[in-house]
Amino acid sequence: MTAVAVESHAPRPGDVRRPRRSPRWAEFPLAMGMLAPSAVILGVFILYPLGRAVWLGQQRCNTFGDVCRSNGFDQYVDLFRSVEFQNALVVTAKFALLTVPLGLALGVGLAVLADKYLRGLGVFRAIFSSTVATSVAVASLMWLFLLQPSVGALANVDFFNALFPSVKDPGWLQDPGTALTAVAMSSVWANLGFTFILVTAGLQSIPKDLHEAAAVDGAGGVRRFWSVTVPMLGPTLLFVLIVLTTRAFQTYGEIDLLTDGGPKPQDSTTTITYFVYGQNSPIRSDPGLQAGSAVLLFVILLALSALQLRGIGRRIHYGD
Amino acid sequence: MTKRPTVGANSRRAPGASVLAALAALALVAAACGGGESALRAGEDDPAPATAAPQTDPPDTAAPGTDASPPATTADGSVPATTQAAPVTTLAPLAQFPDCPTDALDAADGPVDVLFWHGMTNELESELIALTDAYNAGQDSVRVELQNQTSYGSTIDKFINASQSSRPDLVQLPEYTLQQFAESGTVVPVAACVEASGHDTSQFLPRTLSAYTYEGIQWSMPFNVSDPVLYYNRKVFVAAGLDPDDPPVTLEELRAVSQQIVDSGAAAFGIVIDSGPDSGGGWFIEQWFGRAGAPYADNGNGRLGPATEVLFDSATGVELLTFVQEMIDDGLAVSVGDNPDGSQSLLKMVDPDTPGAMTIGTSAALGTVIQVLGSGTFAGLTPEDIGVGPMPGPSDVPGAQVGGASLWIVADKDAAVTAGAWDYVTHLTSAQSQSSWAAGTGYVPVRVDALDLDPIKTTYADDPRFRVPYDQLQARADDITANAPVLGPQREVRVITARAVAAIIGGADVQSTLSAAVADANAAIAAYNSLN
Amino acid sequence: MATEPSTAARRPKQANAHALSPARARRHFDQPVGWRLAARYALLVAISAIVLFPVYTTVVAAFKPGDKVFRNPLVPDAFTLDVFSSAWSSGNLAQYLLNSLIVAVVVTTAQVVTSVLSGYAFALLDFPGKNVCFALFVATLLVPLEATLVVNFDTIDSLGWINTYQGLAVPFLATAFGTFLVRQVFMTLPRDLRDAAAIDGVGHLGFLRHVAVPLVRPTLGALALFSFLSSWNQYLWPNLVINEDDRNTVQSGLRLLSKSNLDEPNLVMAGTVIAAIPIAVVLIVFQRQLVRGLTAGAVKG
Repeated sequence: MTAVAVESHAPRPGDVRRPRRSPRWAEFPLAMGMLAPSAVILGVFILYPLGRAVWLGQQRCNTFGDVCRSNGFDQYVDLFRSVEFQNALVVTAKFALLTVPLGLALGVGLAVLADKYLRGLGVFRAIFSSTVATSVAVASLMWLFLLQPSVGALANVDFFNALFPSVKDPGWLQDPGTALTAVAMSSVWANLGFTFILVTAGLQSIPKDLHEAAAVDGAGGVRRFWSVTVPMLGPTLLFVLIVLTTRAFQTYGEIDLLTDGGPKPQDSTTTITYFVYGQNSPIRSDPGLQAGSAVLLFVILLALSALQLRGIGRRIHYGD
Repeated sequence: MTKRPTVGANSRRAPGASVLAALAALALVAAACGGGESALRAGEDDPAPATAAPQTDPPDTAAPGTDASPPATTADGSVPATTQAAPVTTLAPLAQFPDCPTDALDAADGPVDVLFWHGMTNELESELIALTDAYNAGQDSVRVELQNQTSYGSTIDKFINASQSSRPDLVQLPEYTLQQFAESGTVVPVAACVEASGHDTSQFLPRTLSAYTYEGIQWSMPFNVSDPVLYYNRKVFVAAGLDPDDPPVTLEELRAVSQQIVDSGAAAFGIVIDSGPDSGGGWFIEQWFGRAGAPYADNGNGRLGPATEVLFDSATGVELLTFVQEMIDDGLAVSVGDNPDGSQSLLKMVDPDTPGAMTIGTSAALGTVIQVLGSGTFAGLTPEDIGVGPMPGPSDVPGAQVGGASLWIVADKDAAVTAGAWDYVTHLTSAQSQSSWAAGTGYVPVRVDALDLDPIKTTYADDPRFRVPYDQLQARADDITANAPVLGPQREVRVITARAVAAIIGGADVQSTLSAAVADANAAIAAYNSLN
Repeated sequence: MATEPSTAARRPKQANAHALSPARARRHFDQPVGWRLAARYALLVAISAIVLFPVYTTVVAAFKPGDKVFRNPLVPDAFTLDVFSSAWSSGNLAQYLLNSLIVAVVVTTAQVVTSVLSGYAFALLDFPGKNVCFALFVATLLVPLEATLVVNFDTIDSLGWINTYQGLAVPFLATAFGTFLVRQVFMTLPRDLRDAAAIDGVGHLGFLRHVAVPLVRPTLGALALFSFLSSWNQYLWPNLVINEDDRNTVQSGLRLLSKSNLDEPNLVMAGTVIAAIPIAVVLIVFQRQLVRGLTAGAVKG
């Protein structure tokens, strides 16, 4: 694997260029021509739908969408405060809190573990990276079979179901107390390869000198991990964090295949995205509420992105 | 612990930490500022629960023998006699709906392509393919293409999302979509096709036709009619000292049998239940209300006029769900939860460690169950070890309402395509097709004359299990609850009841949970009615 | 929950607190030895076993005939290839793979081309409204896919593109992310290069094609792999716009396969194995680009 952790393509101060001799309008037609393909796609498939969704979100429609009634934008408030949306929000936040720290910790832990000079390291690395080849459908179907409570693999390993009786009765995906954790496990597993590869690459880009110097200074392994590895991995970890958080908020496929948003009564795995698009969602047949929820998802992600961008801003100014 | 990345060489608060903190805060804020109302009430000016319906329910028992479900014919203006004085059945004139040019097929040059969306899986799909292949091979004016949409739910979603031109020519929809699709303006009522072609429906079971009749018009063609039956493990019955030919019929018997099974140690649980919307959390409840002769919704189960409220928090509902809850509490029943595809409850019966001896499931699973057991999948369990009995319920007499799905002809297609779709429908519902279909799947043949034809004739004679859903359907007396309730947002209401049932299984108070669910369901109905 | 919100407080001092020492430690100074080595191996093996466990059960099931699949899920007590061949034929998997491939190749190519064009315009051209345009582009990065699909479905439907490759691909032919990525790398090109080319009379398009693109090829390779994987792994969109089996992608096709063969888990597992193999091959072949591709996103920051 190559050792490119984070390419720093960010512009350096003083690097802002303006072609000297060109009057501002001279390149306008060319620029428009070059921007047009992207602009059309982004305009038609991102900006327009967003604007339209904001409008649709204050409507209630009948199932077939041919009768709609505008209720004013305070419908967003009703929707946001509704039991179902609040539940989806809590589920999504919980899911992110389960998958993101665990995913990061596992990715970093395994990468550090597999970063020493050991015989057979390549094999372990290949194993840990392997889940990157599984798509959401593949990973979820594997776990669905694994976790089936009556005839599935885990439920019929004696020591395992003695240890965790709930894997059999009622089953981790069927128990409201464990379903979200079980889905999170499959998601962490599926994302493990991604995190591992990134962190490994990040580790390899840390100059060995740093560790050696710290070791000479008397820093032990744990100390070196916190004072050398983690800071040097900063940008990689930030990136992984952003990606994992975004994925957590957009989780749909796992839910669709593993739990259908259940188990009821709490809809324990209905994430916001599943609430909008899921088969058993109560708003599935109301385009107005669907659009409204999607817009709320956007606003929430926007708020999170603002936090992330603050971090990114810092990195650009103060970071390596 | 490695979950707090630091950034660069500064010592400021890590953004990772702040994002995670924000997530945690989000969860708290969400919990704190919830409005406690359902999303289905969003945008309502008046946050009060849906107003009381103008016409409320008749008493729980309808007079026996009342014939409120006449066989579907075209609306002739006659109002069926009924003991429920108000309201009068609304009758819509057939002429105002899209017509069905059944003779357009003759004028078509070359074969017409008909696209059919269905939700049949497992053995059911194989049988449907066989029927369709036979049809395509048997004539050259229509070619039917099947598209499996994986489930009824997906079929409905995709149909609704699509524009009319992206919709199929024929679609299979479950019974709970009746009102919604009848009012959608997207379909041709099959009554128009029956009338235009002079199709003879006299051999159809009247119940299957009236099940798909709304406001006096038959909207769709019954094709795969199922009802819930009891599946039980005969070996366990024998081991528990029970008569394997005498499955429980009433709820009291169900409890006693379960008790004996558990006490004898023949199986870990008496019965496997679930809380899925299309099984224990919705459909079975509707069926149980019908069995008890109690209306599930006002306005004659929604069949005399659009329902305005549901009634499942009545004494009947409380009694039924208290029974379910006690079965769970006493360790006689086990729940497999949402059971999204209906297979989980059956698989629990073959659990190697803690199986259940019985479960209630759709009769449509019978073909698949027999096929799977026949291939030796489960050691020591042959197809003969599975018994089928009527669904145990709140009365001494078995009885069930028409479930399953029907065939809907989509409007605004070429005349020849519509005619082709109708022709295919007549093939699927012909006596011979229904005979093979029922024998292969466990569905109930929709017509009497199918019973005289092989293979179902032999099957019914040799294997009484297949006959159970048929007899159960026929046993039901004709009254206002003989047919399943019709609600506008019935799918949503089933999700609401499923949630309530799951809560009750989990130990929630029965009466208050049901009342809350009724309030939610009524709000959904009110929202639906205000927009349709 | 698995989180402890207060670890931030325990965060140690930063790396630069330790001055770099010129003294060289011995090579592999932290190579574990003795029981530490054994413990490390044990840990690696144990974790590998856990990571591989789902794969193992899948493969075991995929090779079992129907009458064995519900028994002894951990024991490969029977072996047949029939399941694979019936998954391949009845599951229509070849068609799914082909569809996914077509869509992913189209999307990848288009994303690279559109990103190069718009990235170049933002990096090397000067025109009125550039900042506003750029801000709008970047703003689209913040819009989650899920927020647009409700309306995009209607758009695609009104274009008559349900069940078509266009419907699957067109909404994803350009991304602000790609534009941003390419703009950033173009901005690192030495200014003299463009000036010299301009003096030689080379126009922007010529410069783009013959100088700029070849210079940033690694970044484009990374972008391409990133786009390919994103497209291949799309789940929600194909499930919305596809309702005919011949146009299912691998993801939506697997969903169909699993939902309509509940009684044959071995068939479904064989399907997942078949679906996973091509992407595994791609990843092995493009290992180098993979790391770049996955990290390409990091320049967002």
